[in-house]
Amino acid sequence: MTTSPGQTTEQTIPGSGLLQTRRQRRLISRGIRYFIALILIIFAVAPVLWVIGASLNPAKSLVGGTIWPKNASLINFDQLFNHPQYDFEGWLLNSFKVSGISTILTVLITISAGYALSRFRFKGKEHFQTAILIINVFPAILAMVALRSMFQQIGLFIEQIGLDSHGALILIYTSGAMGINVLMVKAFIDTIPLDIDESARVEGASHFQTFRYIIFPMIIPMTITVGVLTFMVSYADFIIARVIIQSMDKLTVMVGLNLFTTIRFDVDFGMLTAGAIIAAIPIILIYIPLQKYVIGGLTAGAVRA
Amino acid sequence: MDTKTNKARFSFFSFLPNLLIVGTFLVFMIWLITQMLHDGLYPIAAAVSAVAVFVVLVYLRPRFTPMRWLGVGIAMVLLFTLYPIIYTVVISTTNMGAGHLRTKQQALDVIESLTYLPEGGETFEWAAYLDVQGDYALWLIPGNEAPGMLAKPDEPIDALSPGDGVVGELDDDGYPTSIEGYQRLERKDVIPILDTLGEITFGEAPDTVRIRSLSSAASLQALYKYDEEMDTVINQQTGDVYQPVDGTFTSESGEELIPGYITSIGLHHFELFLGNPGYRDPLGRIFLWSLTFAVLSVALSWAVGLIVTIMFDDLPGKRYIRALLIIPWPIPVLISVLIWRSLLQPDVGVIPPILRSIIGSSPAWFQDPFWTRFALVLVNVWLSYPYFYVITAGALRSIPEEIYAAAVVDGADAWKKFRYITFPLLLRILTPLLIASFTFNFNNFNLIYIFNQGNPPMPGTIVPMGYTDILISFVFKLAFVNSNVANYGLAAAITIILFLFVSVMVIVQVRSTKIFAEE
Repeated sequence: MTTSPGQTTEQTIPGSGLLQTRRQRRLISRGIRYFIALILIIFAVAPVLWVIGASLNPAKSLVGGTIWPKNASLINFDQLFNHPQYDFEGWLLNSFKVSGISTILTVLITISAGYALSRFRFKGKEHFQTAILIINVFPAILAMVALRSMFQQIGLFIEQIGLDSHGALILIYTSGAMGINVLMVKAFIDTIPLDIDESARVEGASHFQTFRYIIFPMIIPMTITVGVLTFMVSYADFIIARVIIQSMDKLTVMVGLNLFTTIRFDVDFGMLTAGAIIAAIPIILIYIPLQKYVIGGLTAGAVRA
Repeated sequence: MDTKTNKARFSFFSFLPNLLIVGTFLVFMIWLITQMLHDGLYPIAAAVSAVAVFVVLVYLRPRFTPMRWLGVGIAMVLLFTLYPIIYTVVISTTNMGAGHLRTKQQALDVIESLTYLPEGGETFEWAAYLDVQGDYALWLIPGNEAPGMLAKPDEPIDALSPGDGVVGELDDDGYPTSIEGYQRLERKDVIPILDTLGEITFGEAPDTVRIRSLSSAASLQALYKYDEEMDTVINQQTGDVYQPVDGTFTSESGEELIPGYITSIGLHHFELFLGNPGYRDPLGRIFLWSLTFAVLSVALSWAVGLIVTIMFDDLPGKRYIRALLIIPWPIPVLISVLIWRSLLQPDVGVIPPILRSIIGSSPAWFQDPFWTRFALVLVNVWLSYPYFYVITAGALRSIPEEIYAAAVVDGADAWKKFRYITFPLLLRILTPLLIASFTFNFNNFNLIYIFNQGNPPMPGTIVPMGYTDILISFVFKLAFVNSNVANYGLAAAITIILFLFVSVMVIVQVRSTKIFAEE
């Protein structure tokens, strides 16, 4: 019994000391982690802030010291859209046209193919799916030499889909977007119970009617995801457009933007950054509301693996 | 089950629209294929034929129901994804490139369209006429008492009789006094423009005429003739014989006919970079850098992604931290790279002055090989860590909490839990995605090319190569940057190497996915 008070003091002293250091340690650890977060946030956000600042800077110089320029104005945007040499609006419209048509074609082809793969039985279906996956792993850039030569040859006979045409770009984007999207749609339709279309078939609906009135309304979220991803990929493409398109008036906005930095010796940062912002806005506007679909798809892929 | 219902419903009239569409398609395809065959474009003609046959089979026979839903997609993938891959293999065994862009038939068409003015040959007396647009025409009188003819540039030469409304009455010398739309030029008007007239070819190939002197004009003749049996081209004026040598008709004295044509040269390009040190050594360096770049990019981006996933989990305000940290993700790559390039510009950029004021100097971001590479990896981390954060967070959610229970009992601290439980599990779950990222970065053309075009250049290489070139950006340079030295054959051969490399990675990826799926 005599030892018990001693024991308690011996226990409480190191115990309270431990508690103190633990609290201190947690504070220190939080401090360090906030510091790391701060550095990362600067790393992530500073370039974006700088772009916004530079686009508003009428002096067009970068070395201003402050991110928010004095006499901020929209003069760079005004020049961008009224440039005597570059047709920025035209480039934007070209991009919308090419990406838009590619998106519509991709969606139509992938949902019908996804439906077939999910609902029809035919010989060699497994191999067929594997083949889709493998062929699509090869990015179109790798075949750029062949693609260019091929479209040059096609252009000798059908100008609309030859070299230097939007048709060629649309064909490349659409066939490149096929593989993984078809499999995504197929997996999505697989989750719809077969009984639903069976009962429609029993009542005399054709395959097309079953698809149009039963399946399609149920896969609209997936259709939107495929559409958004296709639009983003084709809109952001630089290299294929750079290889296929030659005339100034047919450029897409990404190839056009790159011109701002390569054609002239002194880069006009005001116009470059203004153009970058305008060109990025459509993608960000589309991306934000659909972020959860895209992230959901990616993480599902990670977890399934 | 599908066949039965389809047969029951099949009737000619419901099938008619289908027949019309496929029929139109078929007619168009036959026209296209004939044209391609005529020009000697055999590989693409074969691909188009195969796709045409496939489409007709699928959409003309009522029995192939499932294929009908897939047909358009398959046709497009065959033609615009699979065919280019196969065609790349074909190109890699040819001399295709600057000066060798045409098929043999197309090259011969060009060579045979060249003409010369022979000493003998048919001659005419002539008079010149001028129309309001400033175009000339000739009235030609053949020596053999045949009627006169009207010759305009690029139009067939016409024998016209006087007084038919277009051509007026003939004068004493046999020339029309008037031609509709034209004005007769007198001899004194012709003399000052004789040189100009002498350069104009009248008539449409192959029946063309040029003036030879003030008094006579003569038919032009083809300068070269192709001897199909001997496979040689003969110069009609000098009699020189040109033999085909590696896709160029070459005379004995070494004179070459332009243009050359595409021909097979076997595995020459593969021998070049396996056997020729001038190609092999720089290519080896490019290959090593491609590997290093891909490994560093994936490792560092994932490291930052991990930090974002794990370190801020219990911090108040973590939602805002993460929302800010994901900002680089949706910005199109080209724009991000252009931004970073501007930020790092030595004189007008933002980062070099800051560095100079802090540490006194700023590295040569675009000239020094090491610092250019450093900048490329840095920019790539900025571009890709949000993606790694998102997939890591997803994978982390799939790790059950119970796994940590035993470790907590054993008194493991946060670092040990991460080191021995979280990290190995994440690594296993994410391996397929990490391999995919590695493959992507191995071919990350956009970043490398837009940032600095693969520069700074390596000194003393046979073809232009840069210290930061990866294989695919080198292929691009070889093929598209300078059309005078473009070498599609070599570019395609390197692409084949890339294909093989990507295929190996795909196999590894599929294997790793399967292994984990079975567990």
